[in-house]
Amino acid sequence: MGWVTDSAPTRAELSACVQCGLCLPECPTFRLTGKETFSPRGRLMAMSAVADGVVQVDAAFEAIMDSCLQCRACEVVCPSLVPFGRAMEGARTELTAQLPSSQRKARHLVVGKVLASPALLRMATLGVKAGQKMRIGKLLPATLRSGFQGIRPIMPVAVEAGSTYPALGERIGRAGFLTGCVMDVWFSEVHAASIALLQRAGYDVVIPPAQTCCGALAAHDGDMKDARKLAQKNVVAFANVDVVVVDSAGCGAHMKEYENFTQDGEAFSKRVFDINELIAIAIGSGRIPTSATERGDVAVQDPCHLRHAQRIVDQPRSMLRAAGYNPVEIDPDGRCCGAAGIYSLLQPVLSQQLGAAKADQVRVSKAKVVASANPGCEMQLRSYLGSGYEVVHPVELLWRAVQEDDR
Amino acid sequence: MGLAEELVALVGADRVLVEPVDLYLYGTDASIDRGPVKNVVFPESTEEVAEIVKIANRYQVPVVPRGAGTGLSGGAIPIGSSLVVSLTRMNGIEDVDPINMTARVGPGVINLDLSKHTKALGVHYAPDPSSQSICTIGGNIANNSGGPHCLAEGTTVEHILELEMVTADGQVIVLGGQAPDPVGLDLRGVVVGSEGTMGIVTSAIVKLTPNPLATRTVLATFNTVEDAASAVSAIIARGIVPAALELMDKLMTVAVERFVGAGFDTEATATLLAEVTGHDSAVDAELEIVREVCELHDAKAVRVAVDEAERARLWLGRKSAFGAVAQMAPDYYLHDTVVPRTKLAEVMAKVYEIADRYDITMMNVFHAGDGNLHPLMAFDSTEPGMLDRVHAAAKELVEVCVAAGGALSGEHGVGIEKRDLMPLVFNEYDLDAQARLREAFDPDGLFNPGKTLPEGSRCFDFGRPVPEGVWV
Ligand SMILES: Cc1cc2nc3c(=O)[nH]c(=O)nc-3n(C[C@H](O)[C@H](O)[C@H](O)COP(=O)(O)OP(=O)(O)OC[C@H]3O[C@@H](n4cnc5c(N)ncnc54)[C@H](O)[C@@H]3O)c2cc1C
Ligand code: SF4
Ligand code: SF4
Repeated sequence: MGWVTDSAPTRAELSACVQCGLCLPECPTFRLTGKETFSPRGRLMAMSAVADGVVQVDAAFEAIMDSCLQCRACEVVCPSLVPFGRAMEGARTELTAQLPSSQRKARHLVVGKVLASPALLRMATLGVKAGQKMRIGKLLPATLRSGFQGIRPIMPVAVEAGSTYPALGERIGRAGFLTGCVMDVWFSEVHAASIALLQRAGYDVVIPPAQTCCGALAAHDGDMKDARKLAQKNVVAFANVDVVVVDSAGCGAHMKEYENFTQDGEAFSKRVFDINELIAIAIGSGRIPTSATERGDVAVQDPCHLRHAQRIVDQPRSMLRAAGYNPVEIDPDGRCCGAAGIYSLLQPVLSQQLGAAKADQVRVSKAKVVASANPGCEMQLRSYLGSGYEVVHPVELLWRAVQEDDR
Repeated sequence: MGLAEELVALVGADRVLVEPVDLYLYGTDASIDRGPVKNVVFPESTEEVAEIVKIANRYQVPVVPRGAGTGLSGGAIPIGSSLVVSLTRMNGIEDVDPINMTARVGPGVINLDLSKHTKALGVHYAPDPSSQSICTIGGNIANNSGGPHCLAEGTTVEHILELEMVTADGQVIVLGGQAPDPVGLDLRGVVVGSEGTMGIVTSAIVKLTPNPLATRTVLATFNTVEDAASAVSAIIARGIVPAALELMDKLMTVAVERFVGAGFDTEATATLLAEVTGHDSAVDAELEIVREVCELHDAKAVRVAVDEAERARLWLGRKSAFGAVAQMAPDYYLHDTVVPRTKLAEVMAKVYEIADRYDITMMNVFHAGDGNLHPLMAFDSTEPGMLDRVHAAAKELVEVCVAAGGALSGEHGVGIEKRDLMPLVFNEYDLDAQARLREAFDPDGLFNPGKTLPEGSRCFDFGRPVPEGVWV
């Protein structure tokens, strides 16, 4: 039957792969299994096989696609510049269209609808909060437990939709801040630190009330319809700002690729920045002070969607140095921690192996504080490291240092 | 029970592939052909490999060993529905001995992983194919692979001390040993480079090489490929053997620069990447000689990499060259021939002339130091008549190289792709001798059949039954 949707992997995307295999060593799932069926080259070849009519979109094809973390480590090393992430989203869209399993439908309800609805998210949040109070973590099945235990204690929402936080000092521009879906209520401390630093850096920060979930999880899961709708909505919501600032690597990476989801996406994407990028620039130009106090070691975990998808590597380290910390490298290869959106729920075995390996890398470094710029990674790290470690966003450490030095 | 069931009983369902789409992924490697796969199995020990071979024997199914599948001559592509034995999970590194500078490795160990593993001990595994970030030691052994730094250090065969392998009848044998010159008939040289036709390598003791004390990388650009090629000959004629001497032409440099952004000059007709290693003082002296010779040969510019980061970027560029080609055209056909270094300039001129005549995009990147050419034609196979032109040009290319006194394969092996060109360099007696040698190891012709030797190499056939689908 071949492909049936207009989002399917294109000929150009697939034929860009020359099968050289140079991406295999970077792929976490290939590293764990040694199998082409778990490799980027294999996944692309399976897509080509469907395009050529050699195989059908069936359960075996689905297994090859679904084990992919979408970490995009393969893209960075591909000399042929294959847009793997895009092709994989296309393949997932085909799975949605051709194998509409009830499990996939249920997932789409969550990634496409619940995440986009403040009311439903509030309900989910109340549930989590109650669960945290009653300490139900231990009672959950293993696959859910790790995710649940990684969630921060729920705090009152710090950021109000519609508010404006004025620039301090010289005004650089107007920043629209993405509060995101889960981040909004579950990571309000990170938002507070990001906004405070942006003010210091000279931005008027606004929280456009019409904004919604970025749509990354929907797109990764092949829910193209919802992903397009959400992208469209955000393009409109952020029309009147100079820059769009995102403090979750996964959301930022996705919003930088809105061109694949909506017509005006390309111009929009050029205005999207990860918080690490803007703050590092502000440090460089002296708008945010560099601390003279030494504060010790911090292990740096590179979220895949920061390092591989957005190629942001130096900036979080500059931020930590400016905060007086010594950034400690834990993984020269920048391998995925296994959180990968909803992957930890869908592929618990692989996710568990990657999570445990990442936690070991932190332990070996001897650092007790870990900086990670993505909520999913943060939760995964917290649950695999257990007590005795603090897992934070780099902006939190910098903001803390700036406040301490102010005193 | 069928073949798949027996394999599952041996290693478990998780390590046997049976689904058509899964098998499809094992029908090819980094070259352009494709063959049928019956099953794929992933052994984790020598004993399992031996049992797998015995099972395959009972079903008279051809066995194709496979490493990372980066071969460029189709060595890991099955001919006739075959059992692919993937060695990727046999990737243990043991007994690293920094004093004697040896290590025992599984065949699935990735070349670069080994060097990373031993880095802290001050030693590395010297052969460095451009695919070293992923290709396996088993595949390197089977193809006797070389790389940029083999100019000074030699190819794989010079770095293998002991080989353990499973033969066609499922026996485990050990060849060579840790001593530099083991007693008895030394069969290592027969197996290294045999492309999986003599046995499945299950373990090896490899030689490690001290990390150089100092390394300098020089980038020189030229206005003509001929100038660059004669500079290469002249450098070696001055009595120094740089660790690497690599040449890229303009189109190749453009593709590579687009990927790495290492600051290659995309306007230069030819770019020479040279590396010298050794003691600090010696390195600086050699560096000066390289610079002087390049300038004598009308180099446009000569620049030395300032730090390790720049050096790494330049090499990443060189090592990504084949992959970067797809930016130019959807298909490519790559040759791997060797010519005497003194004939480099002359042969290169002919190479471009052939490409012009057939109107095919020609890109070149090669190990200039040892005269190992990789002329690469980039094309779109959907263009009518294109494939015929490519094949005709390819044949002329090989003929030119052989006429200049060269060899068929520098390092990528013969495989399927160059099998039928073997008679260009070997006469019928040579081929017969090679076929007999192979038969001594594999009388039923079940190990990677159809590779290396053209059909009918055996002059005096004893009429052995040939498994179905073989020699096609
Ligand atoms: C981008 C790129 C650059 C390259 N650069 C170079 C280069 O600079 N120099 C060079 O020499 N080659 C180069 N190659 C070719 C290739 O990488 C080498 O031939 C490499 O050694 C193949 O290793 P592999 O693990 O991928 O083996 P595979 O491709 O899987 O197999 C190659 C052959 O080895 C056999 N084999 C594999 N494992 C075993 C085993 N355990 N026992 C017995 N037989 C076995 C297979 O049957 C097959 O015949 C390059 C390839 C690519 C894609
Ligand atoms: S590195 Fe790129 S071209 Fe090479 S196999 Fe991977 S995806 Fe294909
Ligand atoms: S996105 Fe990550 S998991 Fe998926 S193929 Fe690429 S490297 Fe592997």
